Formats: sequence, structure tokens, C-alpha cells
Amino acid sequence: MVLHDRFWREAEFFLLLVMLCIFFLLDLLAGSVPLTLSQSLPALFHPSTADPQIAAILYQFRVPKAITAVMAGAALSVAGLQMQTIFRNPVAGPDILGISSGSSLGVALFVLSAGWIFKGTPLFTLAGSWGIVMAAWLGAGLMMTLVVLLAARLRDLMTVLILGILISSAILAIVSVLQYFSSESSLKSFIVWTMGSLGSTTQTQLWVLIPAVMIGLLLAFLSSKFLDAFLLGENYAKSMGMNLRVAYLLTFASTSILAGSITAFCGPIGFVGIIVPHLARKYFHSSLHSRLIPGTMVLGAVVMLAGDLISQLPGYDITLPINSVTSLLGIPIVIWIIFQNKKIGAI
Amino acid sequence: MAEEVYMVCQGMSIGYQDRTTPSVVVKNSLTLRALKGEMVALLGGNGIGKSTLLRTLAGFQPPLSGELLIHNKPLAKYRAEELAREMSFVSTESVKVAHLTVREMVGLGRYPYTDWFGKLTDKDQEIIAKAIRDVGLSGYEDRQVSRISDGERQRAMIARALAQNTRIMVLDEPTAFLDISNKYEIVRILHQLVNELGKCIIFSTHDLHTALSMADRIWLMLEEEVVEGIPEVVAGKGYFDSLFPGNPQLKFDVDKGDFRFRKKLIGTVRLLADTSMRKMATRALERLGFEIVGLAPDDNPATEMGSNKPASISVGSVLSHTTPADGYPWVKMEVTQMATGWKITLPGFSTKVESLEELCREVKRLTLQPES
Repeated sequence: MVLHDRFWREAEFFLLLVMLCIFFLLDLLAGSVPLTLSQSLPALFHPSTADPQIAAILYQFRVPKAITAVMAGAALSVAGLQMQTIFRNPVAGPDILGISSGSSLGVALFVLSAGWIFKGTPLFTLAGSWGIVMAAWLGAGLMMTLVVLLAARLRDLMTVLILGILISSAILAIVSVLQYFSSESSLKSFIVWTMGSLGSTTQTQLWVLIPAVMIGLLLAFLSSKFLDAFLLGENYAKSMGMNLRVAYLLTFASTSILAGSITAFCGPIGFVGIIVPHLARKYFHSSLHSRLIPGTMVLGAVVMLAGDLISQLPGYDITLPINSVTSLLGIPIVIWIIFQNKKIGAI
Repeated sequence: MAEEVYMVCQGMSIGYQDRTTPSVVVKNSLTLRALKGEMVALLGGNGIGKSTLLRTLAGFQPPLSGELLIHNKPLAKYRAEELAREMSFVSTESVKVAHLTVREMVGLGRYPYTDWFGKLTDKDQEIIAKAIRDVGLSGYEDRQVSRISDGERQRAMIARALAQNTRIMVLDEPTAFLDISNKYEIVRILHQLVNELGKCIIFSTHDLHTALSMADRIWLMLEEEVVEGIPEVVAGKGYFDSLFPGNPQLKFDVDKGDFRFRKKLIGTVRLLADTSMRKMATRALERLGFEIVGLAPDDNPATEMGSNKPASISVGSVLSHTTPADGYPWVKMEVTQMATGWKITLPGFSTKVESLEELCREVKRLTLQPES
């Protein structure tokens, strides 16, 4: 029985990894210049001998984009999972609670003030990328702290959600005001950033994005025991000897880094953070984080790659904004979650 | 003896502290004890501060002043994990987590003993299995906690606290929202834990009957003071009558160990019935607002009736309109069991009924105030 269980658990995870590989490959093939497997596999593994054009498409555009999708899916989903557990709220997520808009404000302040101070911004250099990402972390972290302080005072989960939405609207308004007062050149680089998508990440930025997401995921793995205790609520967690300060510090740092980094480079991507944790709980039949964190990570990556594939609109020459695709796919699922939650506790 | 005192609070005051507003004191100068192998029932009306006290004992909020010692060491001196190995907590809220099995939830109780990643060893698994057995949930290990009944879930929460392997367990109204059978089951489990494992269990409850018959010690929170002692002494000294000062209609019945709602009496009745029916008829008539002033003459001779009872209870006296205070007539009645059915005799009037149920209906009809 136990052996049987363990076998299935491994099999479930393995199946997800296979899907990740398949979707990653498909994502490399799809695009305005459709590639075939026979064209791209040689170019992927022996770029020097392959058709230079195909190698260029793969290495300069498709591979960074697919890697970004994997990072974004994993990061947003794990951030969402942590927030849902901490707030004990099935519809919590980085975008809903305003963490993403917090990082937008951070980036806006950084880009616009950098433009003002340095007269033109070296945004696409390595240093500029780290600057953006750290500004995003800071914005996300501050927002997270604000939401937690409010949540502690209010105790009512729905009110906290509404406040999160209000605050994020306020922050977006502040960002618009900042744009109004900023110089032309810095405004331009900011607009370029806001239109960010999975495909706009440069190779240089990847060298920032990958380590940042890795740090965030590592912190998430380290917080899995704390998160398990949080399942029963803060009082139970305390009564079982949890050090609240360490737990909050770890999960906030992790969430801010994960959500902040992705918002910094890809712009806002909605709903992935809310829905993937639910899909993972359903798929793995578990709420324990030692299992859910790796599961959510891989499932998030698969969902993001799928979203990116859909956004390519196979057969057409245009690409939809990734945020629209995730929203359109995500909202029905969120509604389903809310209905489910009426019946039983969804997390 | 001294090491058997698991928990002491000395002159402790509890309440809420806030940086911005002055602290709100809920209760002052509490002096309470809980010993090894004791089941302590915390009683008190709604809003008197039972939960605040339990939250303070569990370390969720600091006492405003005074001393709180766990095993002779101030609670504040414990590190979180150290305290979690001494004391576990079960709250009154029902925790519904989807996709969490009973075994996994009970396993969370091993939290203070596991490594950073919470990995359960074989020994942990054994302790978890035993805790599940101890609360009688064998066979439920793989059921989801969101899909078992309230009583089962509460037992699972107790198993989780058991797995925490603490000498003290604090439970906030563990039997709230449960039906009588489940209530009994929970109390039986707690009683067993105290007697077989020597635990010290502190629980709050509104069920006086259970508290008085099962608990070793009562902490009674009253408006003015907090009384501590063994159930018989606390009950015998009449402290329970001041439990609900706002409701003088409630009278504590020491013999029954519970509160009785003192009804407005509308009259007296002399009851003549054989032993098989006497108890039932007595209860029925008492429920209808009558005081039984005489039973079958052989076992309750008239001479024993107190002088304050109405003098005449015999057949033939007239409906007396002398009472007073609330304008109800003071009915004097005699009820006699016949070979078949009952005879109701009122001054100048008598009637026969077939059964006890009809008797009740008839008495009710006769004593209803006429519409004016």
C-alpha cells in the first residue's frame, strides 16, 4: 500500500516533468517563423554546424523566451501558493493583493529617477537589470508588509482582498502621475518596460532573472515546514512552536523576490499565481508543501508555456499579450474556485 | 508534590494590550492551579474571559501582570519550540483544509520535534499512529479532514495535540457544536488521556453537567471573582448561582448538577398515582407549572407538609383568587390515577381523561388564562 502510494507519487511528478519537456519543445517551435523538429533539434544541440538563421532564431529569441516562461510560471505559482497559505485565502495571489503593482511602482521610481539623475538610463545593461529587479523586490516587499499589517488588523479575508485591489489601483494611479512628470527619454524606457512580455527578456536580463528566481524558490523550499503549520492557522502554528518572525520573514522574502523579479522583466501576468496552486492541490491530492512546492513549480512552468503557445495564435502572424491570455484562461478557473470554496475550505 | 503542579498563575491579570490605546483588562488577580493527572474544567458565562484566559495560558498573548508558571518556569522564559513540547492547544474553530488527510494533519503535531523540512521519522509515524488510535479514529488515516464529521474532526484535532506529546493540553470549548453522543465521546477521550497517560488537561465548556461529573478541578469565572476547587466544593458553596447574575430565573440544582429554569408557579397539586406512573406524572405537572404538595397519602403523609404550603389541598375547595403579584389565580388541584386514565379534581369541578398526554392537554386548557 505504502509502496504503491510512493510509486504513484513519483509517477505523477514524472508525468509532469515529461509534459514540461514537451511544452518547452513546442514553445521553441511555435512563433512567427514556425520551425520543425528536424530543423531545430540539430540547431539546438550543434549550433555551429546548423543553419545560422535558425540557430539565431532559437538562441536569441525562442530559448530565452521559453526559459522566461518557465521561470515566470514557476515563480508566480510558488508565490501564489505561499500567499494562499499565509493568508488562508483561496484567491490570494501576487496580482490580487497588489504585490505585482508594488513592484511596478518600484520599477517606475527606479527607471524614472534613473532617467532624471543619469540623463538616460542604462536599463538594458547587467547593472541596470539588477537595479530594476531590486527596485521591484523592494516595491513588492513593502506592499506585502502593508497588506500583512492590514490583514492583522482586519482579520476578514475578503476585506483584505478588496483593500489589496484598492491599493493596487492607487499605486497604478501614482505610476501614471509619475509618467506625466517624467522626461521623454525615461518615459520611453518605462513604457517599453510596461509592455514587457515573455519574449522581451534579453539574454543579459536572463542572467539576472534566473539567479533571482532560484533564490526565491530556494527560500520557498526552506519555508515548507512553516507553511504546513500555517495550514491550520496562525494560532495553531504558534502552539506547535513555530517562530512566527522567521516564518514571515522567509515567506515574505521569497514571495517578494519571486513576484517582484517576474513583474520586473515580464510586466504584470495575472491569474497564474492564483490558479496553479489549486490545480496542483487537485493533481497531487495534497496540501503539504514539501510536495506542493515542487509540484506547483513544475505545473506553473507547464501552464505558462501553454499560455505562451496559445498567445502565439498558431497559424496567424500576430502575438497576443500574455497577460490577456492568462486572464482569459484564468478568470473562469478563479470563479470555479470561488464556487468550490463555498462548499468546502479550498485550501 | 511540588513537581506535580504543572501550571500556576499567581495574581495574574489578563486582557489586551495595544501600543496606541490603554490596555483592556478582562480579569484581575487570577490565582489558579492545574496539577498532573487532572482534568480542569473552565466554566463561565459568555464574554467573561474564558477564551482570553486560555489564550494567555497557551502563550498567544502575554499576561498584563502577575505570574504564570509552567513547570515552575515563567511562560515568557520558554522558547516557542520548547513551550510546544510542554503544552498543546486545540481551538474551538473547526479547521477545514482540503486535500489534507487525517494522518497528515496529526503529523503536523510532530512539528516541534522534526527537522527543518519537517521530515517524519519511523518513530514519528509510530507516535502519529498511536495518537490516531487513542482517539478512536483507526481506519480514518487516509480520509480528508474536510470530509469527515465535526465530531471526527475534533477528535483528529485532539490526536494532533496528542502527537505533540505534551504534558499539558489546553482546549477551548472542545465540545461546542457537537451533539450529545460526540460530546460524550470527546469528554471520555479526554478523561482517558488524563487517567491513563497522566496528562493535565484544561478545557473550557458550557456543559456544567459534564464538568461536575468528570472534571477533577473547576475554575469558575464569575463577574466578581474566580473560584477554584474540586467540583463538589464549588457547587456546594453555591457559587454557581452567581454564574448568570443577569438571569435570576436560573437556579442551580446541586443534586442534579445542572441549572434548572425556575418556572412561574401557577398552583399546587396533590397527586395520587402508583409508583410506576408517579415520576412521569410529577414531571409533567411540574413542567406545567404546578408544585406537588402531596403524593400518595401512604408515602407522604399530610403532616409533613410545611406550614407555608396552602392549608387546604383537599377536594372540594374553591378556586382561590388570592394570589397576587402577577394576577394569576392560584390553582389548587388534585390528580388521581384511576384504573384506566386519570381524574382531575378542581374545586367544584372534576373530569376524567384517558392518558397522561390527555391529562397534560386538559390541565393546560383549564389553567390557561381566559381571554379578556
